[in-house]
Amino acid sequence: MGVDFFIGLFLATLIVSLFTSRLYRLILWYSMNSLVLGILALLTGKALDDKAMLITGIATLLIKAVGIPYLLKNFSEKFHFVRQIQPEIKVHYAIILIPAILVFTFYLSEPITHMINGNANYVAVSISSLFLSLLLMMEHRYVAPKIIGFLSMENALFLLGITATGGMPMLVELGIFFDLLMAIVVMNLLFHKEEEHS
Amino acid sequence: MIAYFLTITVLLLIAPLLLSFIKMVKMKLLYKKPISIFQGYRNFSKLMHKETIVSQEASQITRVAPFLILSPLLVILFFLPPVVQGAFYVSFVDAFTITGLISLSTFFLMLLGLDSASAFGGMGSSREAFIAALVEPAMVLTVFSVSMMAGDLGVGQAGVNLAAHFPKAHMASFLFAAISFFILLIAENGRIPVDNPETHLELTMVHEAMILDITGVYLAIVETAASVKFIIFASLFASLFLPFGLQHTLPVAIMLFLVKLFMIATVVALIEVSTAKLRLFKVPNLLGIAIVFAFLSLITFYVLGA
Repeated sequence: MGVDFFIGLFLATLIVSLFTSRLYRLILWYSMNSLVLGILALLTGKALDDKAMLITGIATLLIKAVGIPYLLKNFSEKFHFVRQIQPEIKVHYAIILIPAILVFTFYLSEPITHMINGNANYVAVSISSLFLSLLLMMEHRYVAPKIIGFLSMENALFLLGITATGGMPMLVELGIFFDLLMAIVVMNLLFHKEEEHS
Repeated sequence: MIAYFLTITVLLLIAPLLLSFIKMVKMKLLYKKPISIFQGYRNFSKLMHKETIVSQEASQITRVAPFLILSPLLVILFFLPPVVQGAFYVSFVDAFTITGLISLSTFFLMLLGLDSASAFGGMGSSREAFIAALVEPAMVLTVFSVSMMAGDLGVGQAGVNLAAHFPKAHMASFLFAAISFFILLIAENGRIPVDNPETHLELTMVHEAMILDITGVYLAIVETAASVKFIIFASLFASLFLPFGLQHTLPVAIMLFLVKLFMIATVVALIEVSTAKLRLFKVPNLLGIAIVFAFLSLITFYVLGA
């Protein structure tokens, strides 16, 4: 019951973030998304009695729900990002597009779900959130929301990892975290360069 | 039967209180001196004593419409799910009937706005038609998917079934339906992201624009209708999406239900304080989100069974 509820919340935060047109609001929704993801990791870790997953859950909460949004907000203040980010895809089309993606992925993942024991629908939700974060990257013109789209795509992959496979090896997950942090640092340098040029 | 009529009476009596409560919470959060929680009743008695003046251009509709705005909503009050276990309820009324009755009430409200032949009234009516047309599909979809989870098309029966067997296996689609219904609650009652109930600014008016030209008893009736509409939506939300506490005895169950209503009112007040009003042409975006969530709730239920 709890896991179902949080998986719904995960998808809901992602869909709402597709409709936002302000950068700080988008960062807030990303943070909510990661928060739900962390809680999900903790819940499944507790259910599987997997200590490594508990650690990754706490790391998710600390890094993705608090750290990265804080850093992004700092950057956006430092480098004067464009904060009014109107999606390029009009909302009227998005209303048609999002359910279409969801129906498509739900049916797409149906053959896979027979192979997975446990909760098959989590796979469907995580694949559809992968597609939705792709849409988030596509529908924005500026860099900052594209980065958030990339980050939420990573969230979706993480969800797929913890729900479908019963937990990736912890080393891999921690590696992904450090990758993300590195990406953020590299982005920082990139923006710094851009700042100097202009 | 006693519980049935008692619930309806309590809901009717508490209707103006709930809107005043929202206003009070808002004023408190904005560091203003809050109005009394009983302001709704005071306004009602003041308007009842006032002289009723009707515009020169107005036809018979202005004299008839206020009653026709209120009466469909009063009928809906009788169809709501029960508050306590074992109470009488109407089981055969489905989402389409309730949506239709709400639209009937809205239709007469729009006629009333047009009838006074002022520029404001017509503008308000056209805006209301715009919003109402977008609310209805989402409303039907949402209540439909909730009925699907409850296993019965009747709204009253669905409330009872949900209280008896909470859909633990369908939490995801339940959550989506709840989000969608909450957006509809805000949109249909003209709360802040859609319409500002407190100003008389030309740009922000929807509901206020339509009732600008009426006074006295008619205004009292229309305002009562607005509060009854809010209580219908709030109690539908409480009995469909917060279905617990029905097994207690009658006084406790009613108190618990009222606590739920006030909780919903507090959430609405918090949203009103923390968001800015949307531009009118941005309203379809908000309602589009509601439609997406309603649809999502249906397909998650069907395809994934979650």
